Amino acid sequence: MSTLETFAQSGDLLDKPEVLTIPPSFRGTRNKIIVSFIHMVLGIVFLLPMVWVVDAAFSAHASGSLTRPSFTLVNFRAAMSLGAGRAIENSLYLAIVSTVVATFVSVLAAYALSRRRVPLKGSFLVATLMLSGLPITLLLIPIYFLYVRLGWLNSPFYTSLALAASSVPFTIWLLKNFFDQVPKELEEAAAIEGAGGVRILWRVVVPLATPGILVASIITFINSWGSFLLPLVLDANPSNTPAAIGIYSNIVANSQVSYGPLAAYAILFSLPVMLLYLLSTRWLHGGFSFAGGVKG
Amino acid sequence: MANLVLEGVTKVFKGKDAAAVHDLDLEIEDGEFIVVVGPSGCGKSTTLRMIAGFETPSKGVIRFGGKIMNNVPPKDRNIAMVFQNYALFPHMTVQKNLSFGPRVRREGKSTIKREIERIVDVLGIGELMDRKPGELSGGERQRVALGRALLRQPDVFLLDEPLSNLDAALRVQMRMEIKRIHEQFPVTMLYVTHDQVEAMTMADRIALMSGGRLQQVDAPERIYDHPANSFVASFIGTPKINFFSGSIVNEGGAAHVRFLGGTYVLDDEYQKGVDLLNGADVSVGVRPENIRIVRAGGGRLPTIGCTVELVEPLGPETHVLVRSGEDLFICKVPARSKLSIGESVEVEFEPSAMKLFHPESGRCMEAEGSDSPIMSVVDA
Repeated sequence: MSTLETFAQSGDLLDKPEVLTIPPSFRGTRNKIIVSFIHMVLGIVFLLPMVWVVDAAFSAHASGSLTRPSFTLVNFRAAMSLGAGRAIENSLYLAIVSTVVATFVSVLAAYALSRRRVPLKGSFLVATLMLSGLPITLLLIPIYFLYVRLGWLNSPFYTSLALAASSVPFTIWLLKNFFDQVPKELEEAAAIEGAGGVRILWRVVVPLATPGILVASIITFINSWGSFLLPLVLDANPSNTPAAIGIYSNIVANSQVSYGPLAAYAILFSLPVMLLYLLSTRWLHGGFSFAGGVKG
Repeated sequence: MANLVLEGVTKVFKGKDAAAVHDLDLEIEDGEFIVVVGPSGCGKSTTLRMIAGFETPSKGVIRFGGKIMNNVPPKDRNIAMVFQNYALFPHMTVQKNLSFGPRVRREGKSTIKREIERIVDVLGIGELMDRKPGELSGGERQRVALGRALLRQPDVFLLDEPLSNLDAALRVQMRMEIKRIHEQFPVTMLYVTHDQVEAMTMADRIALMSGGRLQQVDAPERIYDHPANSFVASFIGTPKINFFSGSIVNEGGAAHVRFLGGTYVLDDEYQKGVDLLNGADVSVGVRPENIRIVRAGGGRLPTIGCTVELVEPLGPETHVLVRSGEDLFICKVPARSKLSIGESVEVEFEPSAMKLFHPESGRCMEAEGSDSPIMSVVDA
């Protein structure tokens, strides 16, 4: 007799429901296997191009497919001779200046929006959020003509201002939400101690919103680092070319693609951002809390 | 050090119909410890915030030492404040929290050091200096907040429910510490709380608020013994005062009050009272400690028969909830009285402790210079 029949006969069916169903632990395991398999496939799909880049960069015979693993720095030397060093310097300049400007402007704007009575604040915030989704291509031509009028073309500094401006709507929105979470009593306590607006912002609010400010800065930096269209349109001077354009113009624009130098250039181009990522995970690891400052 | 005057202060918040604070007149003497007490939403915190400068009065004037302060920002008012939530800067150590204000005010390094040492001594927070607020207990944080406020050497010291986040034992301890601090640093202190025990134990005077309006300002004993209205009478005192419906009757040409506890002749002062019309309803208030459980027929006062509904032994005394018909009320008996639920007892009321309140407005009917409305007792 099967187990089922035994129970059916004994009338114990209703007493032992677990025999009739799949135990939860087993069901969970099956799902976990399926999910893990999907993760693996997706992981391979995304990692494969990166594996290729590393392989091609260090390989003497780089091509569009994976080669036998080898090690040479020939491609890096080629990339440097094509101006990768100078281009990365230009990218660093654009990214750093635009990040500093955007962060400074956004902190002030976000603080005002968070704490002060601003006319039409609600509409302004909604507009800010919508503008942050605006594709830069829509603004390219108007910005170009504006820069022509102002005489700001072919200048890394003014180009980085345009890059900053393109990030500011999003960073204002982001920072405003961080500032909203800083308890108002802390600022009131500082005011009672005699601190004025700027000191309260600098000594009380900014230290507590540092993780948010870091996030905003990192996002701006990465956006500016990879920015292609704005620098292309606003700065025609070849010695000002950032790396994003450099990769394109030096290697890809030729009829024949030099995979080795291309991959090496790409790795050099990624290094600052990877470093930033590693540093930021360390800075942001502690999270932020107002523990002890304000109850609850 | 300065006196603090509020004249006709009103605050209406945008979008709200009712005023959070309505026409508040309050004069606080230099060095006085005044407690503003009332239920949640009575306007006490709003009043405090207007004095601090975080809210602007819609109407009326606030003066410190005669100077109008309405449009002076908080940082220029020379006040100190202890917040309900401590408001310590979480990213700074205790040392930095304490020295924040003096550094902002550009006090000399040696002055700051000396002042901090003195405060640390008074409050016993020396061992906490290198810790951050997150590493401190509630009581420690409160002491640091007090220390920061004391360093301010303010004209007015504001405390916004500073003990409400502490446990009961700590609250008692901190109450005494704050009182002790006030004795050592006799600065004008305005203390806001919803706890009437804190008010009774700490205040030189109590300002009781309800619904945005000031109900009574007086010394604790006077508020207890001579409440201005039924709200004040029931807010102050634990357990709450008992209210009975009664009426005024004219017998033998004299006005009497008749209620559950018996019939009593009213004092001469009250005989002339316009309010006291024959048949008019009154509310009679008697505090639990003025209702006694006695042996039947024992004394000259009338007694009524009641049933014991609930007995609450508290240690030093026992509270007993008794019922007589529809009326339920509380009386206090000595600690070791042996009473059981359902037991029948005789209860007598102390005439000199009775208060008469207008049944609608709640106003206490008390004549000038008279301690009690009751003159003598008449057998029921």
